[in-house]
Amino acid sequence: MEAVLWYVLAGTRGGPNRVRILRALDERPRNPNQLAEELDLNYDTIRHHLEVMVDNDVVRASGDDYGAVYLPSPPARNHWETVETIINQLDS
Amino acid sequence: MSIWIDIARLATGVNLVLLAVLLAIWGRNYHQLRSRQTLGMLVFALLLFVENGFALYVYLLDPVLRVWFSTSVPDPAWQAMVVFHILEAFAIGFLTWVTLD
Repeated sequence: MEAVLWYVLAGTRGGPNRVRILRALDERPRNPNQLAEELDLNYDTIRHHLEVMVDNDVVRASGDDYGAVYLPSPPARNHWETVETIINQLDS
Repeated sequence: MSIWIDIARLATGVNLVLLAVLLAIWGRNYHQLRSRQTLGMLVFALLLFVENGFALYVYLLDPVLRVWFSTSVPDPAWQAMVVFHILEAFAIGFLTWVTLD
């Protein structure tokens, strides 16, 4: 899981934006629309990043309905210190 | 005479382009994240870039080796070399593909 987190969040072109999304989802679960507004990113960009992170089990959707909210997955929670390391480095 | 050196040059050139893409992405991520992991990826791409740059140099520019490689290396040796270059291009290609995602 740690290697996945590093690659998905720090090794890819979309990594830094995924870190921002994950940080926002850590504050509270949100749907793609709220994320787009909060982070000032394109809705489709948000959808794409969420899809990649769902694929890698970094975040999970609560329900499959349109407008479902997303939150960090249990495996991501278990390795949250790794996520925090990446988040903090993005800040500084 | 041989088409193999052209394929080798082409594959090496493709590797250089793909590695330049990886260097740009990982360089930007390292700039933002400053972590050992992002530095590791950056150094990895940098060293492979140097390797391929050096290969292209001896195939294309070096006054002595260029002539030697294009006239004196027999086809079976080239075919083996080309397999290395093409496998490397596929390896870097897949890595670029997932990194661009």
